[in-house]
Formats: sequence, C-alpha cells, structure tokens
Amino acid sequence: MSTDGDGSIKVVPVRHVGRWIGVAAALVVVALIVHTLLSRLPTGQRACRGVGTSRVCHAITEWRFSWDIVFHYFTTSEILHGLLITLELTVIAMAVGIVLGMILAVMRLSPNRVLSGSAWTYTWFFRGTPVLVQLLVWFNISILYPRISLGIPFLHVSFLALHTSTVFTPLEAACVALGLNEGAYMSEIARAGLLSVDEGQVEAATSIGMVRRQTLRYVVMPQAMRVIIPPTGNEVISMLKTSSLASVIGVIELLGAATNIYSANYEIMPLLLTASLWYLVVTTVLSIGQFYLERYFARGALRTPPPTPLQRMRHDLAGVLSKFPNRRSVAGALER
Amino acid sequence: MTETADTMVEAIGVRKHFAGVEVLKGVDLAVARGEVACLIGPSGSGKSTFLRCINHLEKHDAGELLVDGQLVGYELRNGRLYERNDKQICAERARIGMVFQRFNLFQHLTVLENITIGQVRVLRVREDAARARARELLERVGLAGRDGYYPAQLSGGQQQRVAIARALAMDPKLMLFDEPTSALDPELVGEVLDVMRDLARSGMTMIVVTHEMGFAREVASTVYFLDAGIIEESGDPREVLAHPTSPRLQNFLSKVL
Repeated sequence: MSTDGDGSIKVVPVRHVGRWIGVAAALVVVALIVHTLLSRLPTGQRACRGVGTSRVCHAITEWRFSWDIVFHYFTTSEILHGLLITLELTVIAMAVGIVLGMILAVMRLSPNRVLSGSAWTYTWFFRGTPVLVQLLVWFNISILYPRISLGIPFLHVSFLALHTSTVFTPLEAACVALGLNEGAYMSEIARAGLLSVDEGQVEAATSIGMVRRQTLRYVVMPQAMRVIIPPTGNEVISMLKTSSLASVIGVIELLGAATNIYSANYEIMPLLLTASLWYLVVTTVLSIGQFYLERYFARGALRTPPPTPLQRMRHDLAGVLSKFPNRRSVAGALER
Repeated sequence: MTETADTMVEAIGVRKHFAGVEVLKGVDLAVARGEVACLIGPSGSGKSTFLRCINHLEKHDAGELLVDGQLVGYELRNGRLYERNDKQICAERARIGMVFQRFNLFQHLTVLENITIGQVRVLRVREDAARARARELLERVGLAGRDGYYPAQLSGGQQQRVAIARALAMDPKLMLFDEPTSALDPELVGEVLDVMRDLARSGMTMIVVTHEMGFAREVASTVYFLDAGIIEESGDPREVLAHPTSPRLQNFLSKVL
C-alpha cells in the first residue's frame, strides 16, 4: 500500500473520459457561436487612402449582427416606451391570472359540485382555445356587445351604459385576454400547490378552532406557495414573451415598437435583436427575483436553506483555494 | 341534558360509518372532569374515529355526544336538532385540544409561532401576551429556548411536545391524544409521556388513545377497550389490565404485553 508522506493513503479519483469528450464538444460549439456573433461581413465598398505616393485600399466590413444598430436602438424612447407597455401588460395580466387562478383553485376543490364544475369548465374553455384567438375575440368584442351597461341582470334595469369601443382600448383588451387565459393555467398550478399540503396540517389548524378561511390563509396557502412559486415564475417569464402577441391587435409594446421602427427603416434583424435583448434582460432580473422568493417560502421545509449564489461563489472559491496548501488560512477565512 | 356538571364527555350509542362500513357500533362512555380515560384496542377498532368525533373532525351518524353538557355539532331547540354552523363548531373546537400521531406542526412556522397562531388568530389574544404564554408553555414541556426553531429541525419527541404546548395554548377544557407516541423512536416515548403525566396530575381532563399499557395502568382513571366498534370492557386500569374478563381483551393483551 503506497502512502503519502504523512502516512495517509493516497486516493486516486475516477477519470471521467466521457465527460471530457462532452466538455470538448461543448467548447467547440461555444467557440462557433462567439465567432459568428462577432464576425463581420464585407459591405462591397472599399476605403482607400493615400500613403505617400501609393493608395492603400481595404474592404469595408460591418458586424454580421449589426451590433451598432442594435445598441443604438436599445435605449431609444420608442423601444423604452414599448418595454414599459410590455411590463405593464405582464404585471396586469399576471395579477389578474394569479388572483383568478387562486379563486378557481379553491372553487375547484370545493365539495360543492356547482362550484367545482364551473371552475373546471372555465379552465377547460380558456386552456382549450388559442390565446391568440382569445386576444382577437376580446379586441373585437364590440361586434358582439356594442354597448355595455351596469344594471340588474334579466330585468332590463340599467344605471350606466357606454359604448364598448370607447371604454375598451386595445391595451385593455390585451390585459383582459391575457389575464383570463392565464387564470386557467394558474388555477391548475394553485390547485397542485393546495393539494401538496398535508391533510394533517388542515386537521391541526381545524383542531385549534380555525375556520376554513383562516386555515387556508394562515396554514395552507403559505405552505402551498413553496410548490406554487416555481411554476408561477415560469408563467411570469412566459407571459412577458406571450404579451408580444398583443402587437397583433395594435398594442405597441416592445415587439410592436420594434416592428414599427423596422417597417420604416428595414433594419429588421437588428431591431428584432434589440427586442430580444430586452426580453432577455427582464427575464434575467425575474429569475433572480424568483430565486429569493423561493428561498423565502422554503423556510421550515428544509433543515438548512440553500445557499445564495453569493454564498455558493464564496464556497467554491474557498474550495479552489484550499487546493493550495499554503493558502489554507485564506480558504478558511472565506468559508467562514 | 340532566347530566351533572362533573361530566366532561358523554357518549350514548355513538355510531359512525364510512362508505358502508360501520366503524362505531354504538359507543357509550362517560368521562368526568379531571379524569384521564385511556382508549385501547386493536388497530381498526374505531378508537381514533371516536376521538375525532369528539371534536367534530368527523361527524357521527347517530347517538348523542356531549362535551361539557353541550351536544357536539348540534343544538337542541324546540325538540329539533339544528346543525351548528362552521363558526360555532370552530369555537367549540378551540376549547378542545388535540394531539396527533404525526404531530402535524405547522411546518412553515417556528416553534413559537406554532404556539401563538391559535391564540392570536382564534382567541384574539395580543401578540406579545401570546408570545409570553407560549414561552411559559415551552418551559412547561421542557423546550425553553427553542422558540426560533422550525419543526423540521426538532426530533419527533420534541415536535410532539411542541404540539402539546400548541394545544394547551388554547386553554382547553379537554385534551384529546390520538396515539401521541406511536410515531416516535422508542427512546423518545418517555419524554412525551412525562409531559402527559404532568398534565394529568395538574387536573386536565384527558382522553388518550394509546398502545402504552404502562402509561394507561399508571395514569388512567378508567381504561376502555374498544373492539370492532363497541366498548368491550372498561374499568379501573389495574383491574381491567390485570384481570381481563372478555376473551378478546385477553387475546389483545397477550399480543401487546
């Protein structure tokens, strides 16, 4: 048995050959992507200048992906205004969707057949038809209902009557359409969350005298959140992008603003990239928010909460440093 | 309702069935104030179901069930039984403590919050008063200083003691224990039984479903042997457990002792 200087037996780690091949392949793909993103194309023009008596000419090139144009439009007021509308749409539609989804989920789990049946029917309908169709229907709702009025149903008593087209702008139609559609998806997510909470929790809450509403609010919901948050984060990110469909009914959100600009100057690709980059930026911010939200609602579920990225980075760095014997004190300090 | 004020729980011919299977076939029992009643019997004999009927977690189908002189879940007015509404039933329940086999502590709340939430939300006690009471109770169950722990960070025995404190925080007039030590590792059973013993000594009325015959013999005023939905035998634990008369109890005791 061979031993190290200090008498301990040397451990030889397993060599992961397959993993190394995978890493090599991944690096090649990354290199290709970086290369093409940063590549330049000749414009067909040449630039010449005189050096002494001779003229030196070279081809003029430009970014394949027109980064200069992409970033020029990145902060123009049209794009920023579009971004604002996109955010507004996302927030309102998700708020409507989450509230509606919670109500539908509670209804769905009700022992009353009429309540659970109507919740089921709602989900069946709004999940079963394309969201684009729903957008178009709400946009054109004034065809079906030219006037909307506030009154008592079936009795032809009305307190207030308005023309649908004057109160229902495309933006509002989009909010309603996206929100109602989202409600159907959120209800399934919320239902899964509510069902994930152990029945014993409900019994315990009941046994200390809580009524159904209190049990739901103080015991079931907070624990259901742990299951509801991750897919809801997904839904927010998905909604951010789905809101671009609203451009079809004339809402000038982020994509709408980009298409408006490129229909005038034909810089199609750069503006699509501008919009995409903004979507990526917002998505990134949302993902970070989701991480901390999940961490918050996981409290009590795990003996030790997962480390934040910052803590993990510090831990990894300490691990690397500990490979160097004389740096052990530094690694220890970081670990702490 | 001619019962003396000394009877805390009275059952007369209580029946209950689940999907055609009759689990309780007419249970009669009377537990006096300050008494400790132990329910023993084989699994599936209806012990837990009966216990759950007492605080209306299950609705009994027939018979009379009275807690502190009041019908559980119903009100007798003008010769008719009126079903009580949710709010009334919950108010009744708040005064009946229940301890579960699987502890059922609120996982998302700290130990202290587990004990204060009922006081604050149901009894409308002020937050700081509730906290003071919770600390007092934690000390009583031997867990002083564990305020900020989450249930998942405690052992089973500790969790069950917090659960007892949570029930006591509601100032119950009656405590129900549904196999409180069955989910515990053997070495943790003692600490929970100690707390229950203290509670019994302090004069709390308790109904305990248990398999701990030693505890029943020592603490119970009356032991009830439930088998196949009826009370087969009952009486002083030293008498009943030492000299069982019914063959079923003899058979049961030969298996558990």
